[in-house]
Amino acid sequence: MKKTIAIIIVLVLSLGLLAACGDNNDRDGLYIAVLSKGFQHQFWQAVDAGAQAAGEHYGVEVFFDGPESEADIHVQVDMFNQQLALNPDGIALAALSTQAVLTQLQDAYDKGIPVVGFDSGVPEAPAGQIRATASTNNQNAAALGADHMFPVIRDKIEAATEADPVVIVVLSQDVTSESITGRTRGFAEKMHQLASGVNSSVAITGGYPAINTGDAGAAVRIEVVVGATSSSVDMATAASGALTLPGLIGFFCSNEGAANGVISAINAGSVVPAGVPIVGFDAGESQKAAVRSGIFMGGITQDPFQIGYQAVSLVVRAIRGETIGDVDTGAQWWDSTNMDNPDIALLLYD
Amino acid sequence: MLDFIKRMQLQKLLALGALIILYLFFAYFGRNFVSVPTTLSILSRSYFVGFLAIGVTFVIITGGIDLSIGTVMMCSALIGGLLFTVFGFPLWLCLIIMILVGTAFGTANGLLVTKLGLPPFIATLGMMMVSMGLGSILTNVRAQNFPTLLGENAWFVRLFLRTEGNIPTGAFFLAGYLILTFIILKMTKLGRYTYAIGSNEEAVRLSGVNASRWKMITYMISGTSAGIASIFFAAAYTVMTPGTGQGFELDAIAAAVIGGTSLSGGVGSVTGTIIGVFIMSTLAVGLVSIGLRAPYQVFFTGVVVIGAVFLDIQRTRRANRVKK
Repeated sequence: MKKTIAIIIVLVLSLGLLAACGDNNDRDGLYIAVLSKGFQHQFWQAVDAGAQAAGEHYGVEVFFDGPESEADIHVQVDMFNQQLALNPDGIALAALSTQAVLTQLQDAYDKGIPVVGFDSGVPEAPAGQIRATASTNNQNAAALGADHMFPVIRDKIEAATEADPVVIVVLSQDVTSESITGRTRGFAEKMHQLASGVNSSVAITGGYPAINTGDAGAAVRIEVVVGATSSSVDMATAASGALTLPGLIGFFCSNEGAANGVISAINAGSVVPAGVPIVGFDAGESQKAAVRSGIFMGGITQDPFQIGYQAVSLVVRAIRGETIGDVDTGAQWWDSTNMDNPDIALLLYD
Repeated sequence: MLDFIKRMQLQKLLALGALIILYLFFAYFGRNFVSVPTTLSILSRSYFVGFLAIGVTFVIITGGIDLSIGTVMMCSALIGGLLFTVFGFPLWLCLIIMILVGTAFGTANGLLVTKLGLPPFIATLGMMMVSMGLGSILTNVRAQNFPTLLGENAWFVRLFLRTEGNIPTGAFFLAGYLILTFIILKMTKLGRYTYAIGSNEEAVRLSGVNASRWKMITYMISGTSAGIASIFFAAAYTVMTPGTGQGFELDAIAAAVIGGTSLSGGVGSVTGTIIGVFIMSTLAVGLVSIGLRAPYQVFFTGVVVIGAVFLDIQRTRRANRVKK
């Protein structure tokens, strides 16, 4: 009996400790709940850091939480319920499933709690229930890749003729997802614009009919290559095919899957023609190694810190009654010269 | 004898005391803890675990274990969602089928344990994988949706979770099931044999009782409870994802253990189990209300489970000492 009492006392004491570190009895300032899609990836840690920074800037309390895996829809629903119960002043949400939180969104709406989307936001939410979304504009971000690749291949583009054409490949894993199509379009159109400045015969061709400008005989072709499926095997096959295109002078991968396709192809024996810069979107472990070893020229990463920061500041502005609109949280160029800088390294999530 | 009963009830009383202390603790330190939304939040995550835990309590009292209930629940929900959205079955029929799917898995578990003589741990571990795989195969690994409070068929949520006026309707079902299973355990032959098998299966068999048959029934109760749980899970969480469900069985088993059900069999009660369920959900919601993130819930639930099992072992040791 003595022991059981001892155990209970220990339990109660440990809870007491929790309360001490919980530090939550100040109810003066605003309280904002940020519910992410995950927690364990560096990406989300950076979103958290941004959200906390914004919280400090505005002097509001920010509580950040997310399920352990993106399959844990029910965990996020529970979190949403629990946060609603705390009567927060505002909520930022990256929904795993909009369908699963429809009731909660309606509740928040009825209670007058503003909800802001971030990262991929809350697609297909009922009109008016999401005040605004803070996320990466994929088109602008991919255009950044074209900006960086162009100076390297400018001379080759200028020298290209219809008799001796050059080709810049954009490798994409599908033609449906919003982020991939946005990036493909963003890079291809920006490169088209830049190349047109130094060569009169430029065309976009290949797997994205919507952006094709025709003319497969142009001196400079920006060729969109799409894998048969998004599986790593098919992406590697597509990459090894694209690497053998005659006149290849530049290579852009629109996501980590495409970049890994190129890396797998090289591992399997494909050869990158000398002096061809490869740029990848995202920043996985193997992509980082490829940049470090010089196989890749560099990459573009989303800015999760800004995603978190902007999400919280949107919520604060919504609470203050300001009119808010969607925010592009921007993207960063990274290569071997800056990838170890602390502020960039933070963004190179795995 | 009085002393013995006292000892039997000790852990349940401790659990109830712990629940009250927890609640008071969070009521004092938590943000907006004593409120309708918080109470609903505690309740809504207790329903499905409650049904799972009541069911598995029967099996644990016989000295067995059922590891399949979490994924069986998800499989039932996936099948129900598939029939409802893809095949256009009326919702009420889907709900009945969901319960029957649970019963079918429970029956299969029972057959494996009693007829083929597999250890319950292995048999139900296998069935855990079978049910998870089956759910993914049948749905082609697509998530299945159930109605919400906002669209058509809102009666589903209104009946099994809460009404727009925040009446926690699910609680009535759980209370009803608790009373029903309490009566079965304490006042019927099935209940007496359940305890007897857990205390000394050989003795039950030697006294001419068909122990296998009664054991079989406890697995069917566990499976059926998982089927019922799937209804309440679907009402609370709307979107069912294939490949998930693992882990819920451990929540249910932990709840039973916290409530004083002994993993060595022969001891336990459904009322204790429900107290265990509410300790876990109060802890989960309460820790958030004092500003701690989700991983702390897991951590402290673990601490509580270890404490509960420790108490269980202490009690068993004392009981053995008395026997000597």
